[in-house]
Amino acid sequence: MLAHPPSPDDAFTGAAGRRDNEPGPSYFEQPLLKRPHWGWNVITYLFLGGIMGGTGLITMLAGRSSIPADRRLSRTAKFASLALAAINPPLLISHLGRPERFLNMLRIVKFKSPMSLGVWGLVLYSGAAGGNVLYELAEMRVAPRWLRIFAPPVLEPLQALLGAFTAGYTGVLISATAIPLWAKGKRHIPALSVCSGLAGACALNTILAIVSGNDEPVERLERLEAVAALAELTLLADFRRHAGALGKPMFEGKRGRRLRDFTAIGGIAIPLLLNVMGAVLPMPKSLRNARSVAASALTLLGGYVLRETFIEAGKTSAGDPHAAFRQPE
Amino acid sequence: MANGFFTDTTLCIGCKACEVACKQWNELPSDGLAFTGMSYDNTLRLSGTTWRHVAFVEDREVGTTIVNRWSMMSDVCKHCTHAGCMEACPTGAIIRNEFGDVYIQPDVCNGCGYCVPSCPFGVVDLIEPFKPSAAKAAEYNTATLDRERLSEGALQSHGGIAGKCTLCYDRQRLGFTPACAKACPTESIQFGNVDDLKARARKRVERLRERGVDAQLYGVDETTSVGDLNAFFLLTQPPEHYNLPARPVLPSTHQPAGYAAAALAAAALAVAGLAIFRGR
Amino acid sequence: MPGLGTSFGRGGATTFLQDLQNADCILIEGSNFAEAHPVGFRFVTKAKERGAKIIHVDPRFTRTSALADLYVPLRSGTDIVFLGAIINWVLQNERDFREYVVAYTNASSLVSADFRDTEDLDGLFSGWNDFARDSGASAMAQQGAGGGRGESTYDTSTWQFERNPDGTLRRDETLTDPRCVYQILKRHFSRYTPRMVEDVCGTPRELFFEVCESLAANSCRERTTAFAYAVGWTQHTVGVQYIRTAAILQLLLGNVGRPGGGIMALRGHADIQGATDIATLYDLFPGYLPVPSIQRDEQTLAAYLKTNTKPTGWWNNFPKYFISMLKAFFGDAATAGNDYCFDYLPQLTGDHSTIPTTFAMKDGEVKGYFVIGQNPVTSGQNTELIAAAMDRLEWFVNVDAYENETSSFWKREGAQPGQIGTECFFIPAATILEKEGTVTNTNRMLQFHEKAVEPAGEAVSDAWLFYQLGKKLKALYANSTDPKDRPLLDLTWDYENDDERERLRGEPSVFKIMQEINGFQVATGAQLTGFAECKDDGSTACGGWIYSGVCPDKQTHRARNRRGDEYTSLDWGFAWPANRRMLYNRASADPAGRPWSERKKYVWWDESAQKWTGVDVPDFPANKAPSTPAKPGAAGMDAHSGADPFIMQLDGRGQIFVASGLKDGPLPAHYEPLASVIQNQLYKQQNNPTLREWDRSDNPYNGQVNPRYPYVLTTYRITELSGVYTRYIPWLAELQPEAFCEIDPELAVEKGLKNGDYATISTAVGEIEVRALVSGRMRPLRIAKGQRVHQIGLPYIFGNFGYTSGDTSGDVIPLAMDPNVSIHEAKTLTCDIRAGRRAPRGRVAQDDAVPEPERSRDGQPLIHGREAGV
Ligand SMILES: Nc1nc2c(c(=O)[nH]1)N[C@H]1C(S)=C(S)[C@@H](COP(=O)(O)OP(=O)(O)OC[C@H]3O[C@@H](n4cnc5c(=O)[nH]c(N)nc54)[C@H](O)[C@@H]3O)O[C@H]1N2
Ligand SMILES: Nc1nc2c(c(=O)[nH]1)N[C@H]1C(S)=C(S)[C@@H](COP(=O)(O)OP(=O)(O)OC[C@H]3O[C@@H](n4cnc5c(=O)[nH]c(N)nc54)[C@H](O)[C@@H]3O)O[C@H]1N2
Ligand code: SF4
Ligand code: SF4
Ligand code: SF4
Ligand code: SF4
Ligand code: SF4
Ligand SMILES: [Mo]
Repeated sequence: MLAHPPSPDDAFTGAAGRRDNEPGPSYFEQPLLKRPHWGWNVITYLFLGGIMGGTGLITMLAGRSSIPADRRLSRTAKFASLALAAINPPLLISHLGRPERFLNMLRIVKFKSPMSLGVWGLVLYSGAAGGNVLYELAEMRVAPRWLRIFAPPVLEPLQALLGAFTAGYTGVLISATAIPLWAKGKRHIPALSVCSGLAGACALNTILAIVSGNDEPVERLERLEAVAALAELTLLADFRRHAGALGKPMFEGKRGRRLRDFTAIGGIAIPLLLNVMGAVLPMPKSLRNARSVAASALTLLGGYVLRETFIEAGKTSAGDPHAAFRQPE
Repeated sequence: MANGFFTDTTLCIGCKACEVACKQWNELPSDGLAFTGMSYDNTLRLSGTTWRHVAFVEDREVGTTIVNRWSMMSDVCKHCTHAGCMEACPTGAIIRNEFGDVYIQPDVCNGCGYCVPSCPFGVVDLIEPFKPSAAKAAEYNTATLDRERLSEGALQSHGGIAGKCTLCYDRQRLGFTPACAKACPTESIQFGNVDDLKARARKRVERLRERGVDAQLYGVDETTSVGDLNAFFLLTQPPEHYNLPARPVLPSTHQPAGYAAAALAAAALAVAGLAIFRGR
Repeated sequence: MPGLGTSFGRGGATTFLQDLQNADCILIEGSNFAEAHPVGFRFVTKAKERGAKIIHVDPRFTRTSALADLYVPLRSGTDIVFLGAIINWVLQNERDFREYVVAYTNASSLVSADFRDTEDLDGLFSGWNDFARDSGASAMAQQGAGGGRGESTYDTSTWQFERNPDGTLRRDETLTDPRCVYQILKRHFSRYTPRMVEDVCGTPRELFFEVCESLAANSCRERTTAFAYAVGWTQHTVGVQYIRTAAILQLLLGNVGRPGGGIMALRGHADIQGATDIATLYDLFPGYLPVPSIQRDEQTLAAYLKTNTKPTGWWNNFPKYFISMLKAFFGDAATAGNDYCFDYLPQLTGDHSTIPTTFAMKDGEVKGYFVIGQNPVTSGQNTELIAAAMDRLEWFVNVDAYENETSSFWKREGAQPGQIGTECFFIPAATILEKEGTVTNTNRMLQFHEKAVEPAGEAVSDAWLFYQLGKKLKALYANSTDPKDRPLLDLTWDYENDDERERLRGEPSVFKIMQEINGFQVATGAQLTGFAECKDDGSTACGGWIYSGVCPDKQTHRARNRRGDEYTSLDWGFAWPANRRMLYNRASADPAGRPWSERKKYVWWDESAQKWTGVDVPDFPANKAPSTPAKPGAAGMDAHSGADPFIMQLDGRGQIFVASGLKDGPLPAHYEPLASVIQNQLYKQQNNPTLREWDRSDNPYNGQVNPRYPYVLTTYRITELSGVYTRYIPWLAELQPEAFCEIDPELAVEKGLKNGDYATISTAVGEIEVRALVSGRMRPLRIAKGQRVHQIGLPYIFGNFGYTSGDTSGDVIPLAMDPNVSIHEAKTLTCDIRAGRRAPRGRVAQDDAVPEPERSRDGQPLIHGREAGV
């Protein structure tokens, strides 16, 4: 029941007593801030939202390419985007408890609230993705061709833009709070969300490309993923330095090791290595594809663990009154 | 101008009448039975179902174990001028009402929980169902019926939404004093127009200082981003002793940097992507 | 409250809560004012706002201490030393308010030449009849067994004042005669030194001096000091004398009857004042008229009136009140010819108060038990003995709003319900919100409350119960011709409700009851407008003279008044007597009738109007000029001068020396509590020689000073909880979810107790387990010879029923009581403490086949129980 079980020390020092190993007075070591009530569904939402956003970017990049395989990639990405956009509302609903509560989010547009903007971003993104999917369906002649009027050329870059936003806003959402760890990461976390989102998107699209037998663009996807992953690693390292003591809940202890093993090493370093291996070492196609799939899976896992670490470490950070007393400006 | 509270800790006798009156008026359930050993504080914090909380700060002379000061302080939502909870709320459930107070409309709130980490004072929280464990019930060898009924009743109307002090919006509309202030026997909680209260509070600080009491106002003439608090306090010890942040920060101030960083990252990656996909 | 009664004349607080705001200094001692009386405490904070100095003297640093300017720790049970030393300091430094002392107290009266003080007799006063010593046992050896103590008494003849041939008191207004009260007082308290305060109370000398200076500096023409106490001073075997010490000090400082002064006795339960006024005590009728007793010459009306009518002062009116009461009781049946049915009244045969009666019950001498609105199995002491006594009853009726430890005594841990033969009845009681009536608060003020909601289920008001019981009994005996049934048949019982619905329910009219208490003219039925109209010739009836005036005509109920102001609020409720808020307020003016100072103006003589006037109802004959001389040899009020403010007293003055009315001495003397951690440092006499104890195997004592029980234990309440009804409220339960004790960090370390751990507290009576709350608010004290005293605090309000629960302190407290008011000792005890939980309770004393007869040392049965005719 108690965050900090009572100890005789409390009695000796009194509520405001100072213990040597403590940075300052507190009220019985009671948390100042409330923990966010966010569990697996929100973590998954943040994770998939990032991938969805990254996929939007890929849609445009590949769509503008002159290579037909890239355009096929873009088409798969468009379908994936829409699928991801469709998964997110149920996830949000599972967090909110009741379906009508999701609609409630659309009562107003509130520029001050990243969550409001984010949901609108998600809705608009779904619209753009839907338009683009219609376009592709018409192109594929599954649907009447006139439907293409719903997908003017500007829709592709729009989806990309909205994608960048949906990948980024999740970071703004958590860092625009009072949680010391998150607030400290007001620059790092949004940037990390974008990078990790795009890396995850590359990984997902790699798998989709291989599964759909369109493995030609995989190499380019892997190069983009490498750039994003490198940026992610750099940002992570810089955040660790920047956060200092406030970063403890994220970078130290069990959770720190988990982040290191699954995200830094397993989710970034090893996939990078595998990708480099793929680029320099000649290997048969089947092996190459297997390597790509493995690297991608690892990247995705790393991305999930990163989101999970943010949320869980944020809860710990909220529970530390001394951190909360030094709210980052 | 807004209505609010001036809570004068030098007058507080720690009777908790405010805490109980609030629960009674708002039909909030008990938060459970746990002996904490932390002075006389067994509720420990504000919660979704505890909207007033009386803190007991046992201070002592340096170098001895003897407590010579015991400060009691009745904490509550600050009804900030710039309210983090209100800015964060995506549904517009949190509004500033006609009395200038920060009010959660229970029928609009959708329980997203975003206001919770957005309050720099750790005030607002989601109301979660209270489930007394069988073991607890046996340990206390009591019928838990009433407690369950009470919490169920409250949950049916409030379930899964954010909860915090309404500044007795319903009572104010009827022209009544908020329940907590009404119940306070020593006028430690004073309700009224915030400007009047501030004037009164400044005088009070002066008088206390004349008497040699190290009094200071908390939440008045704020230079921090949350601005002045419509529920402000007179303290005699550093804010941290009462579990208050010395320099609260309005979370939305982080947003410009965040959006910029995200945009920058996205732009950089887009350029890289263009290079990679165009380069053929 | 004979401490106040003998000193000032009436057994109630001399002042009212609102007046505390005018004090320049408030000494709170023997009460946890802020926690137990939070609403009244607002006036203390108001005084503080106006610059008053607030002092709290208590064994524990409490929420009251937190708000005080000065907190002074002391060892529980030593207040007479602390206050006595202040008295000594005041006298030595001549800081008394001399004009007041000479004019308004009996300091100048000469005491009989035969009087011997504790100074001469090592802790005893002259007149000690030690029955036990006569039977050959020393006072010390008595401790071991028997329980004979408390039967020895004082012969008070040597405590009397000397009189002039004309019957007036002999006085020395220079206060220099060695036999005058002032000089006796000086000698008596000379050994109460600051050193003693350190050695006995454990209070640091500097703190003691600061208290002395604060009191003296704030007690003069311009300034006043108020005292506030509650049961921290009463629940001791010397409790009454604690209050006497305070009364003496307040008289010396000239603070009684003046605004911002006086002694605020904080009463407990909402209507505890009303309960003693109209009159739940076994030995009093309404208005504090004594029940006749075979131990006094009171077997006829004439003899009774002779014993109780005082020759001088207001009590000279005694027959008017008593006969009017008999007229109210028995109506037309009461005539001059039959002594107004005096013979119908019962005669007391001994002490039938709770504790002796409980022993009698345990010993099988009491067969039936009504418990109405009380929870003795939790709030009593030696609760196992009480419950075991109930096991032996034939029947038991409980009237309560909740199931509690008493109503379900047969379910207690260790009991075997199958073996308990008591037939139990439970009658659900309506709570205060479910019925109308008046409550008399600590200001002696009656306030009427309406019914807010209909009673739940089958609940009925307590008034219903007694009304219907009376009606049923009357019906049962209606045809009886047996003279012994006459009292019941002649009893007036006409309280039928005018409200149709309530009448059908059987609820009596509480307004009619109050009208009868107020009194009326027998011939016309017109209401009395006050007790001054009471007659001793049977022409008036008055059920409780002190309340007279509350219903001055057929429509008015002044307890309903709701017009308040910022101060005396004379139109809010009705305070007895005669709506006076402050008693003895004549003393707020100097002997010539002028206010002592402009600042402390309250009631004064208006020369032009030739009457007393002011912001309150004068507590003095309205038109008696200050210059009126006393008439030597006159009866009643004429024997007092116009400058004698204490109108209830024989001599019209505040009694520093009390010649009669107290069983343990005319002046307070420090005795250690029944169980202590130290020998009495002042006298050879260890504890109150007149205390009552029952040393028997089902009520064992720790012993005077027993190293097995090295810690001082004190019990008290906390704001969050009160009776069992509060334990059923989840909102209160979460604030204090479990029984706990408070200990100092030093003791915690010594005992290996961590904050929040279970601790087991044990005494000779038994053991209980509670959580340990370790706090630096509890502090060890250093007393004589460097002895370190740890005090353990134990809130007493827990029990097994309700959401918050835990062992009750009553499980470890033995039964013992003071001689004057039969109050238990619950404030100062000794105990041991260890980490860990207690053993489960096993088979209990209910299995004892033979009740243990209570015997005194010499084998004679004590006067209670069967002998006493219970
Ligand atoms: N919340 C709440 N309020 C109540 C009640 C309740 O149950 N709960 N009960 C009501 C009733 S019935 C009563 S009688 C009153 C009682 O009112 P109080 O007498 O004010 O209350 P207590 O807590 O019993 O005891 C008062 C203080 O006496 C101290 N004390 C113990 N021994 C000594 C001693 O030897 N000398 C001195 N100077 N102090 C000592 C204790 O530490 C305690 O702080 O409260 C009434 N108010
Ligand atoms: N150790 C220790 N023991 C103490 C004390 C202490 O300080 N220390 N204090 C003592 C003092 S001062 C007091 S006053 C006693 C208090 O002891 P009790 O008089 O036993 O007081 P409560 O626990 O309040 O119990 C009152 C009962 O009345 C019931 N009740 C409430 N309203 C009504 C009503 O309208 N009608 C009826 N019929 N019942 C009603 C309640 O449900 C409850 O069961 O405890 C004493 N015991
Ligand atoms: S204190 Fe917190 S919950 Fe209250 S108004 Fe400010 S931000 Fe909102
Ligand atoms: S939980 Fe309710 S009040 Fe809080 S942010 Fe979400 S919608 Fe707004
Ligand atoms: S104003 Fe009303 S809701 Fe707010 S703390 Fe006071 S009683 Fe509770
Ligand atoms: S009601 Fe007033 S005095 Fe009592 S705890 Fe609350 S603020 Fe303090
Ligand atoms: S419980 Fe009643 S009597 Fe006691 S302080 Fe509160 S209002 Fe006064
Ligand atoms: Mo009491």
